[in-house]
Amino acid sequence: MYTSITNRREFIKKMAVLSAMTAAATMFPGILFAEEQEKGIPNSANLDWKKAPCRFCGVGCGVLVGTENGKAIAVKGDPKSPVNKGLCCVKGYHSIMALYGKDRLTKPLVKKNGQYVETSMKEALDLVASKMQDTIKNHGKDAVSIYGSGQWTIPDGYAASKLFKGCIGTNNVEANARLCMASAVTGFLTSFGIDEPMGCYEDIDYADVFFLWGNNMAEMHPVLFSRLLDQRLKRGVKIIDFATRTTRTSKAADSSILFQPQTDLAVANAICYEIINNGWVNKSFVDKHCNFNKGLTNMGYGLEDNYKFKDKPEKINFEAYKKFLEDYTPEKVSKISGVSVKDIKYMAALYGDPNKKVMSLWCMGMNQHSRGTWINNLVYNIHLLTGKISTPGNSPFSLTGQPSACGTVREVGTLTHKLPHGVVMNKKHREFAAKIWDVPVENIDPKPTYHTVEMFRALDRGDIRFMWIQVTNPMVTMPKLKRYRDGAKKEGRFIVVSDIYPTPTTDIADVILPSAMWIEREGLFGNSERRTQHFDQMVDPPGEAMSDTWQLVEVAKRMGYEKQFYYKEETHIEEIYTEYRKHHDNKKHNMAPLEVLKSQPGAMWPYVDGKSTQWRFNAKYDPACSNGEDFHFYGKPDGKAIIWQRPYEPAAEEPDEEYPYWLNTGRVVEHWHTGSMTRRIPVLHKAMPHAYVELHPNDAKRLQIKTGDKVKLTTRRGEIILPASIDQRGVPAPMQVFVPFFDENLLINDITLDSFCPISKEPDYKKCAVKVEKA
Amino acid sequence: MRKRLGIISLFIILFVGFIIIWNYSYQTGLKDAYIPIIENGDSNGVFLSENGVFKNSELALEYANMPIDETHQRTLETYYNNRAYYGAPPFIPHPVKEERSMGGNTCLQCHQSGGFVAKFDAYAPVTPHPEMINCRQCHVAETAETLFAQTAFTKEQAPKVGVNNALPGSPPMIPHPIRMRENCLACHAGPAAPKEIRVTHPERINCMQCHVPNNTNGIDTATFIRDNNNYDE
Repeated sequence: MYTSITNRREFIKKMAVLSAMTAAATMFPGILFAEEQEKGIPNSANLDWKKAPCRFCGVGCGVLVGTENGKAIAVKGDPKSPVNKGLCCVKGYHSIMALYGKDRLTKPLVKKNGQYVETSMKEALDLVASKMQDTIKNHGKDAVSIYGSGQWTIPDGYAASKLFKGCIGTNNVEANARLCMASAVTGFLTSFGIDEPMGCYEDIDYADVFFLWGNNMAEMHPVLFSRLLDQRLKRGVKIIDFATRTTRTSKAADSSILFQPQTDLAVANAICYEIINNGWVNKSFVDKHCNFNKGLTNMGYGLEDNYKFKDKPEKINFEAYKKFLEDYTPEKVSKISGVSVKDIKYMAALYGDPNKKVMSLWCMGMNQHSRGTWINNLVYNIHLLTGKISTPGNSPFSLTGQPSACGTVREVGTLTHKLPHGVVMNKKHREFAAKIWDVPVENIDPKPTYHTVEMFRALDRGDIRFMWIQVTNPMVTMPKLKRYRDGAKKEGRFIVVSDIYPTPTTDIADVILPSAMWIEREGLFGNSERRTQHFDQMVDPPGEAMSDTWQLVEVAKRMGYEKQFYYKEETHIEEIYTEYRKHHDNKKHNMAPLEVLKSQPGAMWPYVDGKSTQWRFNAKYDPACSNGEDFHFYGKPDGKAIIWQRPYEPAAEEPDEEYPYWLNTGRVVEHWHTGSMTRRIPVLHKAMPHAYVELHPNDAKRLQIKTGDKVKLTTRRGEIILPASIDQRGVPAPMQVFVPFFDENLLINDITLDSFCPISKEPDYKKCAVKVEKA
Repeated sequence: MRKRLGIISLFIILFVGFIIIWNYSYQTGLKDAYIPIIENGDSNGVFLSENGVFKNSELALEYANMPIDETHQRTLETYYNNRAYYGAPPFIPHPVKEERSMGGNTCLQCHQSGGFVAKFDAYAPVTPHPEMINCRQCHVAETAETLFAQTAFTKEQAPKVGVNNALPGSPPMIPHPIRMRENCLACHAGPAAPKEIRVTHPERINCMQCHVPNNTNGIDTATFIRDNNNYDE
């Protein structure tokens, strides 16, 4: 829009015309950015631009990486990508700088007498394989384990699952995504019977109202948030920030509504109460497509070792559900949640208005929740009751935090109970997987073993003796970290860590394997909207660094599984992906062929007849619908989604006299997760050099704490001293504090609690009781 | 006699009591008057306040659609010339109408939303902090040309434009402090924005998603050195 004008009269005339056009607000299509951005890039004659999905969060922006003389030197948003339309965030724009930290791991390191000794990759892999074989011989197959990541590429996770579940025969396969989206998965499975969002990012272009459930989207999913802001300028949509803390998102939102931690359960039920009470239920939709269920309550919090829980779903009718909701009138809920009756009714009215399309968005606020599965169910309830689901703009949308949490962990199934297609408990699913994997079906153990928290507890107890950790940093991210760090360091444990930089996790390793990062190898990621994206190798990895896939293949071969790991080094990614696709060869989950993914910025599964599916369960868009109705929730045997009766229950540890504050943890826009990559990007480190503790100004005043003062936080797990931040990036509610977790020098997880959702086994990092003092 | 003694001793007791109470209250009075000095931390910067980042966002689309009035553009040079040094509050380069008034009634009429002022043949710059209405506490007019005595003060070099990118084509970092200037669009968009720093994409609004400060007041953490590893040995 850079028009120049010199005549003032003409200028005023043009202004009048323009303001009329602004009112019409149909001026710019999507995010116009790329063209003007390219102007600023120096003559790119020598630059070779290649597409890749961004290495960081689960949004999965398309980026173009410019390389010159074998080095990556520039990044721009891919204008062809329907995800970000040419825009990135500050991490994406500087992502390639994470390749060039001076302390990159380039040689394998083996711990000998307390010292790390450089060795060759061949020797290190020999050692890993023989150590794994020894452990299996001496302690059984369930004494070896692999702990992977939502940053694993699809081939990484597939090779790991095939090796451990198919060949070795242990279900000791977990990934850090258990810590970030397991509740989203169980939410989908319990409500719809099939994982991952029904809608897609394009919903943003159609919705009229956006509800952000405990989601600081302006910092955590900034590029998608830009699409929201863009729509607000164009169409005047409403953004409601429903959260426990005032953030950048709250400031940008049309309205910011604060609730007391954990009471989102009650508020969601109150919204359903209002919807039913005011007659806003979409009766024909509910009658045709929904069932009502209730499950067990008072489930506990998983704080003790070997905790077990299995829900018992029980069918109920609409009347029983309505009766249950009588405990959740806006007046009653207002008392426990701190949300005014007016605000509850306002939210319900927006959801209930039949003329408004509503999109709910959430991420860790709802997933890292001691009742994470429940709150996911409850938000689906709202959308199901009003029938606002699976149509453009009507979308409950669960966001993810890692580039391939969906692609690798959820779709490949690198969790203890999962197989690429189905679960280990199901005989048919085991037979199906065993056939593709070319292993005897007896190899696949029908019993799931440990979820992540329990896996680290087993390592502490000595039930697990060998753990291979890839692409993740659990010695920063595990809750109640000290126990698990001490456990991992015990005698008789053997830890292998594949990473690109030294981290607190490599500190506990017996063998450190240098990995090739992102565009130093070929790979695929799958983002939050079911989009699978491929990237080529663009630069050489440093030193002996090797892709995680190939590390696994090499070890598998050494352990005698050459038959299953027949892949050739030059073509192994293609071979693995093609083999992997066989697991999903059906209308409900078909993956796009590799040549399609190479030619365009990704495709969304189910990919049927050469087309991505944007809205699942909707017969207009989804070829898997087969019941002849408008909607078909084919994840459930009777084709109906489930509205769950889930009550409000308190958190595992609530503030009391001794520990009177809530402790909440999270991220900042500059750093991604544990910062092992972003802290090595100078721009990002300078903007956000260390962690801090946010206090409410009134609490700070009472405690005589000013910004920059040292503050001591004490929980039942330990204490930590952090600089205070008052009224800066974010403002927590009174009697609450917030600490970002990216800083390995200030490990907030040393004092967090390892309570988890009994159904999803995902820990609650957002709530525990803490004492706050001036240090 | 006994009665008199009794009365005298009663008065003595009352007097002693008075002394004790008076003394006590005097002492506690002294204590109350003492206000403890709160120890200041090592730093009081840490991170930037972000109040106001989204303040002018409702105007973003208008800014984006505004044609450029080439003949009345401000330059970065005039922007900095209007300040005693880089970061100082600009002085008022025009006569002031009302000597005795708060900014809300006078200054903000032009400087809140901007617009063309025929009298000065220029667009009024937009203030990033319209909520602070005692404008002339910081912004003063220039009424004399000469100096009382010469000064040896030299202006600090202001940040340059076009050199703040970490990579070719990456979004420039914010090279200046943003205290009281968190409202990016006030200076970086609209017809009064200096042409060198006028943003091409004001409609993006969430500026700090791509542009981060390059000089936070964070506590310098120094380069991190892992102490339990001996990679070189």
